Amino acid sequence: MRLRPIMALFFLVGPGSAGAADLVVSAASSLTDAFGAVASAYEARHPGTHVVLNFAASDVLLRQIASGAPADVFASADQAAMDKAAAAHAIDPSTRHDFATNRLVLVVPAGSPVAVKTPRDLAAGTVRRVAYGDPASVPVGRYTKAALDRQGLWEDVSAKGVPAQNVRQALDYVSRGEVDAGFVFATDAAVAKGKVTTVSEVPTPTPISYPIAIVAGSKQASEAAAFDAFVQSPDGRDILTRFGFRAP
Amino acid sequence: MADVWVPLALSLKVALWATAINLVLGVLAGFGLSRWRSPAREVVDSILTLPLVLPPTVLGYYLLVLLGRRGVFGSWLDRMGIELVFTWQGAVIASTLVAFPLVQKAARAAFEAVDPQLESAARVLGLREAAIFFRVSLPLAARGITAGALLAFARALGEFGATLMIAGNLPGRTQTLSVAIYAAVQAGDDRTAAIMVGVTSVTCVAALLLAGWLSPNPPGRGRR
Amino acid sequence: MSVDIAIRAMLQGDDRRFALDVSIVSSERRIVIFGPSGAGKSLTLRAVAGLLTPDAGHVHVDGRVLYDAAAGVDMPARKRDVAYVFQDYALFPHLTVAQNVGFGLAHGWLNPGRRARDARVSRWIDTLELGDIADSFPARISGGQRQRVALARALAAEPRIVLLDEPFAALDPGLRGRMRAELMALQERLDLQLMVITHDPADVEALDGHTFEIREGRVVAAP
Repeated sequence: MRLRPIMALFFLVGPGSAGAADLVVSAASSLTDAFGAVASAYEARHPGTHVVLNFAASDVLLRQIASGAPADVFASADQAAMDKAAAAHAIDPSTRHDFATNRLVLVVPAGSPVAVKTPRDLAAGTVRRVAYGDPASVPVGRYTKAALDRQGLWEDVSAKGVPAQNVRQALDYVSRGEVDAGFVFATDAAVAKGKVTTVSEVPTPTPISYPIAIVAGSKQASEAAAFDAFVQSPDGRDILTRFGFRAP
Repeated sequence: MADVWVPLALSLKVALWATAINLVLGVLAGFGLSRWRSPAREVVDSILTLPLVLPPTVLGYYLLVLLGRRGVFGSWLDRMGIELVFTWQGAVIASTLVAFPLVQKAARAAFEAVDPQLESAARVLGLREAAIFFRVSLPLAARGITAGALLAFARALGEFGATLMIAGNLPGRTQTLSVAIYAAVQAGDDRTAAIMVGVTSVTCVAALLLAGWLSPNPPGRGRR
Repeated sequence: MSVDIAIRAMLQGDDRRFALDVSIVSSERRIVIFGPSGAGKSLTLRAVAGLLTPDAGHVHVDGRVLYDAAAGVDMPARKRDVAYVFQDYALFPHLTVAQNVGFGLAHGWLNPGRRARDARVSRWIDTLELGDIADSFPARISGGQRQRVALARALAAEPRIVLLDEPFAALDPGLRGRMRAELMALQERLDLQLMVITHDPADVEALDGHTFEIREGRVVAAP
């Protein structure tokens, strides 16, 4: 058994060796494309760092982190999820700040014959199913519920509701034509341009702002801070804007 | 707390329907395969066994592509007013599909174990093939088929991946226990999740005990 | 009552080929086919019953054409009006003795019930002295009793000819003599047409019928 070469190999790829860091970023589903681009740009500027992206509904991500999953950065789609994370001491509160805003839109499948122009139209008999994130665990669902509650439409719409596990699933339902309409973020609608048509922007009682924070106990705290700084930098902002996000 | 009974009732309804359908389809397929003499037989058997080895999410995806509103069959069904996606009927289809090989394989093995001479005897005594099937082959294969049906029921009860894809997570309509547990965990509602897990476990044990009691005794020996 | 059998068949075993070429013509009430194991006796019997289709030839029983290759006739087993008693009796294990006996009386999709009993079934149970075990299952009764059940089942359908495949081979030697006598008595009483196959010379002697000897698929001695 040739021990020496094997030992050498071990040290090359072993833990703690400089330049081989994995940065785990847990981000809300709506950030899938935008953060994909941000991560690539970051890696280009920091050779040797590999950004591992983990997308899911914000509440799911915070559950993972609160249960000890080894994430370094957490970017959520609403303050509620980040609040829960803070309450669970899962993030370093001093690093928390907003980095983007978004808008809620009502979309329909492209080419759908069902006439829907505003949320009020969803009460019509021709609208059989409406997709939105599950308010229990998905930020976009919470925004949707709050917005529809404000207009007194939540009862009617939820009766035909198809709750989705995250915003991208809601988007998928609309893209496939399995539902007659859905509520997603403007940035998501942009990603599925040929398949869904945005019919109206839906005002929300609270602005849709995305907070980001470094996970408590992260082993890559300095790297995480660098990533965070990049997200806030003009270059980072540019990328986010390209995907439809707006400044905080 | 009332939230537990609705998903439970839904799970039982879906699993019972799926098992009933599989009893018919699985028994017919198992019988056909046990009697069919052809080199193509094992190929067909393998194809019919696929749902057992394919990941449920893959199956769910195929179902969605075929039966969705814009799918190959789905668009045709949609025009006839039949909806399968986001309905309990869609959940039944998903559960039926994943559990089918369990009944089919058990049925085939059970039919192959029936002494062919008994069927010959019945033939000479004047019965047509269908009568022989119902009076000789099926009763003698019943035990093995029941065992397969039991497994199929348990599998259908716990079905999650394919169900979630095609039936979604609609409380009261398609949110079966497995899906409800998943949603509760996602929402951070551990208490509800724990209750549902307990209910599911008890139901499965009860189902297995009941089936053991119902299972036909070895032929000719009556109740112990 | 006449029997006219001429069958030819080429059968493929695992690695051997077996040529069957049997001719049997008789108008006696008892026909015995005698020969060693593997000679082709069972195959012949099954061809008569319709459980096997030969390659060529014909089977006429009592003037009826059950099989005729040249004329394209191959009557299915269920219509042939023959009875077959298998070597190990082939009793239905999930049915009682009475249900077994009554099996062939109804051709529907339901087995005869356990409670109610057709009059014909009762008659045959009495004839073959099965009253004590009428509600028992085949697994619980003795070899001799099973044979009588198999006979009763076969006869209940009132066939034109009863085919028996080594009927005494599965019995204790001591029992065989008694069963042979019983069978002969039954045949006399009911005026049955029997075709028995056996490898036991003692059977040939006791049955004293029109005997055909078969070896390696051919009839070798026909008195």
